[in-house]
Amino acid sequence: MTETKDNLESNENLDPRFENLAGYVLGALDHADERSAVENLIERDPEVQAEFEELAEAADLLAIAVPPVTPPASLKTRIMEMAEQDFTTASIQQATHEPIRQQPWWQRALRSGLAVSAASAVLVVVVGSALSYQNNQLGNEMDTLRANLATESVLVANLQNELSTTLTDSEIRVATMKSDMKVMEDDFGATTEMVVHQEEMVSHLGSVNNALRQALSDQNWLTYVSTKEGYQVESWLASNTQQVTSTEPTASGLIAVRIVGNEAVFQVHGLPQPQSGYAYTLWLMGNGDPQPVAQFAVSEIGSATIAFLLPQPLQFYSSVVVTQERVDRIGVDPTGTMVLSAQTN
Amino acid sequence: MNYQGLEDLELLAKIGEQDRQALAALYDRYGRRVFALAVRMLNDTVGSEEVTQDVFMSVWRRGASYTLKKGKFTTWLFSIAHNRTIDELRKRRRDRSRENADIDDHLNIQSGDISPADAAVAQSEYAKMRAAMEKLPVEQKSVVDLSYFKGLTQTEIALKTGQPLGTVKTRMRLALKKLRTSLSDEIGAQA
Repeated sequence: MTETKDNLESNENLDPRFENLAGYVLGALDHADERSAVENLIERDPEVQAEFEELAEAADLLAIAVPPVTPPASLKTRIMEMAEQDFTTASIQQATHEPIRQQPWWQRALRSGLAVSAASAVLVVVVGSALSYQNNQLGNEMDTLRANLATESVLVANLQNELSTTLTDSEIRVATMKSDMKVMEDDFGATTEMVVHQEEMVSHLGSVNNALRQALSDQNWLTYVSTKEGYQVESWLASNTQQVTSTEPTASGLIAVRIVGNEAVFQVHGLPQPQSGYAYTLWLMGNGDPQPVAQFAVSEIGSATIAFLLPQPLQFYSSVVVTQERVDRIGVDPTGTMVLSAQTN
Repeated sequence: MNYQGLEDLELLAKIGEQDRQALAALYDRYGRRVFALAVRMLNDTVGSEEVTQDVFMSVWRRGASYTLKKGKFTTWLFSIAHNRTIDELRKRRRDRSRENADIDDHLNIQSGDISPADAAVAQSEYAKMRAAMEKLPVEQKSVVDLSYFKGLTQTEIALKTGQPLGTVKTRMRLALKKLRTSLSDEIGAQA
């Protein structure tokens, strides 16, 4: 069956305001900003609102027309348990007359007296459980990403090996040339011109080696993935000059976000090992509550790569920061030493 | 109180008051529909359970913010379910770990999952949708299937079909309008 003449004429006469409505209803828009634009139009233009309702009803029918499937009974039980947990958390928040996120837990505990009251202990456990659940959800998604990245890492390791081999060959060549120069001087009595010329060659090779060495240290899977998988670097993190200690003056990091989708990668170099009992924590700031993305360890040379899913586009956050927080006890706000930070917009 | 006798919006109001029995009633009413949509799109019951759980927790947490400006309650609910499932579907597509089943495979997945009575109703509704879909020009049928059930964006559909993006957008709109006309009288009344 082919499209009729009427359909084609409708195509030509499509009102630009309605252009993305069907895509919005079908969940087929490509970017978050397109969705926001449509939502704004729906909100302020009655004609668009009416058109939206008509199209949305059709999509509604598509869902309704799918034959129902009975889920396992355990699903309802799980949902009701989660609702119960939410309810308990909300009740305790209300009882304290103080939003949980206003202060770090330890400050609230200290304020309540020398001994932590039973109520505070319950609060910590409940809030911890809620955060733990959210972290678990995020953790599952990150595990999937990590598995994919592991595959890419193999390819990068091969690249690094190639670079290492090139560097080693080049360094051997420099050493050989120096040895040859010594032989020439001993055997033939080198002229000043010859020595200068050969020294220049050695110097030049030395520069090449330095460049190779730098490339080797910078080389990582991200370089590979960036070109292959459509990531682009969105933010460069630098040492926080006001608070950074002298032990990590060269630390730096970056966040790359996939051009389509919400996958993101954070990579850091040059961080010292965190103090005992602490781990580095990446936070997204400035869009409601601070959001801890992940705690991570660094390698012997202070590097780490973290894959995560952005809850919202990076531009929605004002900054990203890295702090040291206690292992497995991330508060609702960053409280530890800030080592890296960057503005995102 | 007989929660089963309450309208959707009355249940939603009670959910806004943290009434978990209202959530249970709403789940009883729509849980199978939401789960079915996820299964239809993901072809995976485990992932569909997670999606359904997320959808009803969204209703629990955001129910108080629902207004009629967001459309009918079922439109809002299925919009949440569809968007959440699309997120999962696109993540999986990126992972390339799974493939969605063809529309005809869907009927096979259902066998044994629903009661004979439900199956009869389901087959009837599904048959109506199939019939309405069959009335569409093949190009319009394709964009609905690729976007709504397989989670492709309109740009991805344009690339896949080799059609201009504007044509894809128009086909989506025309298809929805025709489907609504065909289905609303028959299925809408049962929703």
